[in-house]
Amino acid sequence: MTSVLPSPTPVAERVYDELVDILGEANVLVDRPARYNRTRVPSPFPVHRWNDHVPDVVVLPESTEQVVEIVKLANRTKTPIVPRAAGTGLADGAVPLRHGILLDVKRMNRIWDLDTQNYTVNVGPGVNMLKLNEFLQPHGLFYPDNPASYPCSMVGGRIGTSGWSLIGARYGHTKDLVLSMEVVLPTGEVIEVGSGGGRKLRKASTALTLKELFFGHQGTLGITTNATLSLHPRPEAEFAAFFAYPDYDTAYRSCGALSKSGLASMAGVVLFDERKLDYLRRDDEAYIEQPSDVVAVNAVALYGTEDEVVPAARRILQIGYDTGGRYLGDEVSQGDWAARHDRYAIPLHGRLREGAGGPAVGRAGQVVPMSWHCEDAAINYTELPAVREKWHAIADRYIERYGIFDDWGMFAYTNGSHSPYGDYLVEIDIGIWEQELNDENWAAWTACKKEIAQVAIDHGGSITACHGATRAGEVDLVPQELGGAFEVMKSIKRMLDPNNIMNPGKYLFDQAYEGAP
Amino acid sequence: MDHMPNGLGNGKAHEAFVAEWRDKAYGCFSSGHKFCRNVCPVMQVTRNENHSPTAFHANVVAMEQGHITVEDVAEDYVHCTQCGACELRCPNTLMAGEFYRARTRTVDVVKAMRAFAVEQGVEQPNWKRWVEATVDAKNEPVLDVPVSQDNVRNWAKDLDIPVGGETIMFVDCEAAFYRTSLPRAIAQVLQLAGVQFGLMREQWCCGGPAREMGYNEQSRFLAQHNVDDWRAIGAKRIITIEPHDYVHFTEDYPWHFGDDFDFEIVHILDLVAELIDEGRLQLTQPINRVATYHDPCRLNKRKGIHEAPRKILRAIPGLDFRDVDHVTQWSYCSGAGGGLMIEKPEITAAISEQRLERAAELEVDLLVSACVWSERPLTTAGLAQSPQIEVRDIMEMVAESAGIAVEGVRELAEGGMA
Repeated sequence: MTSVLPSPTPVAERVYDELVDILGEANVLVDRPARYNRTRVPSPFPVHRWNDHVPDVVVLPESTEQVVEIVKLANRTKTPIVPRAAGTGLADGAVPLRHGILLDVKRMNRIWDLDTQNYTVNVGPGVNMLKLNEFLQPHGLFYPDNPASYPCSMVGGRIGTSGWSLIGARYGHTKDLVLSMEVVLPTGEVIEVGSGGGRKLRKASTALTLKELFFGHQGTLGITTNATLSLHPRPEAEFAAFFAYPDYDTAYRSCGALSKSGLASMAGVVLFDERKLDYLRRDDEAYIEQPSDVVAVNAVALYGTEDEVVPAARRILQIGYDTGGRYLGDEVSQGDWAARHDRYAIPLHGRLREGAGGPAVGRAGQVVPMSWHCEDAAINYTELPAVREKWHAIADRYIERYGIFDDWGMFAYTNGSHSPYGDYLVEIDIGIWEQELNDENWAAWTACKKEIAQVAIDHGGSITACHGATRAGEVDLVPQELGGAFEVMKSIKRMLDPNNIMNPGKYLFDQAYEGAP
Repeated sequence: MDHMPNGLGNGKAHEAFVAEWRDKAYGCFSSGHKFCRNVCPVMQVTRNENHSPTAFHANVVAMEQGHITVEDVAEDYVHCTQCGACELRCPNTLMAGEFYRARTRTVDVVKAMRAFAVEQGVEQPNWKRWVEATVDAKNEPVLDVPVSQDNVRNWAKDLDIPVGGETIMFVDCEAAFYRTSLPRAIAQVLQLAGVQFGLMREQWCCGGPAREMGYNEQSRFLAQHNVDDWRAIGAKRIITIEPHDYVHFTEDYPWHFGDDFDFEIVHILDLVAELIDEGRLQLTQPINRVATYHDPCRLNKRKGIHEAPRKILRAIPGLDFRDVDHVTQWSYCSGAGGGLMIEKPEITAAISEQRLERAAELEVDLLVSACVWSERPLTTAGLAQSPQIEVRDIMEMVAESAGIAVEGVRELAEGGMA
């Protein structure tokens, strides 16, 4: 198990002096802790193969000019380069597959050019949304990109993964909220992409639209060095309601009715299934105890002016009641919604299941530290019940056989920007006991993931709504999901990145270079 | 440039260390959400992931896996003020930690790693000098002033404070030798309110800084003397005037001495708030200033003391008090704690500068602290603001408002007042 990477590595030796010329010695790190600590993200990680993912050298640029010089150096020397913002993604976009240069943008965290007339702000990729909103608050503005990782994730990573926001049904998701951005391409050219040529426009129609190409590319097409964001007036009112149901089917139908209410202030609906309730009852100390007939839950959030939200709240309470829901009261509703970021980040431990194999034998019920896999398929409303059953069945099979997994239940979140109906971000949370990982268990895990992703595709969905489909296992199915579009993507990748230096190995884009001179 | 793991110390010590800490570290490592990062004062200014609370846990796992050694990481662990913000902001602490008996314990991990480094002979030069000088002089080598047992009570000149008694006022080294106006103000306030108290026969450093830097043996040596002195003079109740002392006496002394440590530890702010409540202390003299309060990390984040200072400030007539709530202040710090100021003064200065910028947004002319160690870097940062923001200790304000003329030295720093 013990193996030691050299410091510096031969690759680091090759580029070190030039990197120091670009950045200064303090911003070029080759020590082992700097490299090991910029390797994993929260998604399950093959700890037993940590060394496979450790970068050779870490750079901490502060300007676009520095990023350009670093990328040119990487391109010239054919050194892999992996951009990393907060490192909080739930796919492994920021996990290096081929070592190389790890470009950490946390020092590119300046806020420029707040435009209180056109409601935009220009920021570096290392800016965190919570900190940005602290800055915007005195101006009566806010930036509503609000993922579970809101207290820590950063604009650059939100773009790289094409993130989803908990209040996106009202305000849109990252791709809607980033109006334009500056991108350093893999060959070192700098372009600006947005709607047309203006940086602060929300709609334009000049020629082809390139902006969306640079959302969700997971660092394979370039590095965002600057972004212009769309701001909103701070909402005057927020309303959250949690409803309880005696069974999943009633909750599912109620979820559909709530999301189709037609209310413009609707920010999102979240459906908790029975297994999620079981998990919260079992292992969440902040869970407020509910009677046992509470089997499934819907959470609804409204944002807007008081004139919008107050009557809309009455409508929501009526719909919830009419469709078989019982309002869980202000304490649960307001408290749980306010704690949403922390609540969705708690799974740090799981339990070993009775009757499960592997290391769980004889240790049923024992609590162990577990990493969190959060599946995030995009699935149409009509398919939710079937997908839910299949996913739990897959998880059960792997839990029972290998003993190192735990099922923490499912959420379904309204998925569309400004359109909270029709499709859902569907999440199954699975715990993985990483301390027990070895090649066999890791292979089992990736096989499990592949089965889960296959179900999403079989039901006309997508492997991922917001994290990215770069994770081992599911990534194999990307060509199947995308068909001919994947061939076009490979052409684009090879055109923009002729030497395959940008986050190489991701998304099977290596195929674009097969047979190349 | 290269070195191999396990080249230092012995493998058994390494194994024992990771065996003790690996599961606790894994609770953070396997999650990796990093909500802590934006409240961490050091990360806010260095923005280097090596210095994040998450890295402090991940390194333990990397050590367990045989990838790195204490020698690789020891210097990274200097980058922590032990303020405790990361633990408060951890979703594990908020939602599940107690339930699983696996509460996130970053401060303890940092202390343990520093101690392990010292055991293994991996020392930080300034900390080594500081602790050696402390053990030598029995008090910390506070800058700019002669430090010895001969002048440890000079601040109390002409105040007629007895030595010994059931209640003892313990005076921190920085206050005893450097900002002598503070212990004078406190002593005079207590005298005015009729509180009986005495001083130690021979007061040594509390030993807390040594413990924070990883020098546990030296810490215990100093602590043992103080406890022996307390017992010899019949002390039962210790009034601490400084947040670090309060943490050391309530956490580190019981760690050193177990159940034998049976002294009542009182923090001055709780006591003074009580005196005001009971009408034993009247604040009558107006202080016509515009002020905000800096929550010292160890009071607010480590010990939950944030109501008493606000009650006290609201009792001072004339004061325009512009408060920032204590939860927002989880991300505030002076940068002076945990030995950071001794090894990395430039980072402390940057943290203090950021703190003063936040005060300036409130358009105040006074930042009130309750931690004497914070007041030096905060004062320097306040002088650099335009317009300047003065930094004072809350107990000096209490004394002034109670009509006490306080003598002693308040500030020797550049531009300060002697």
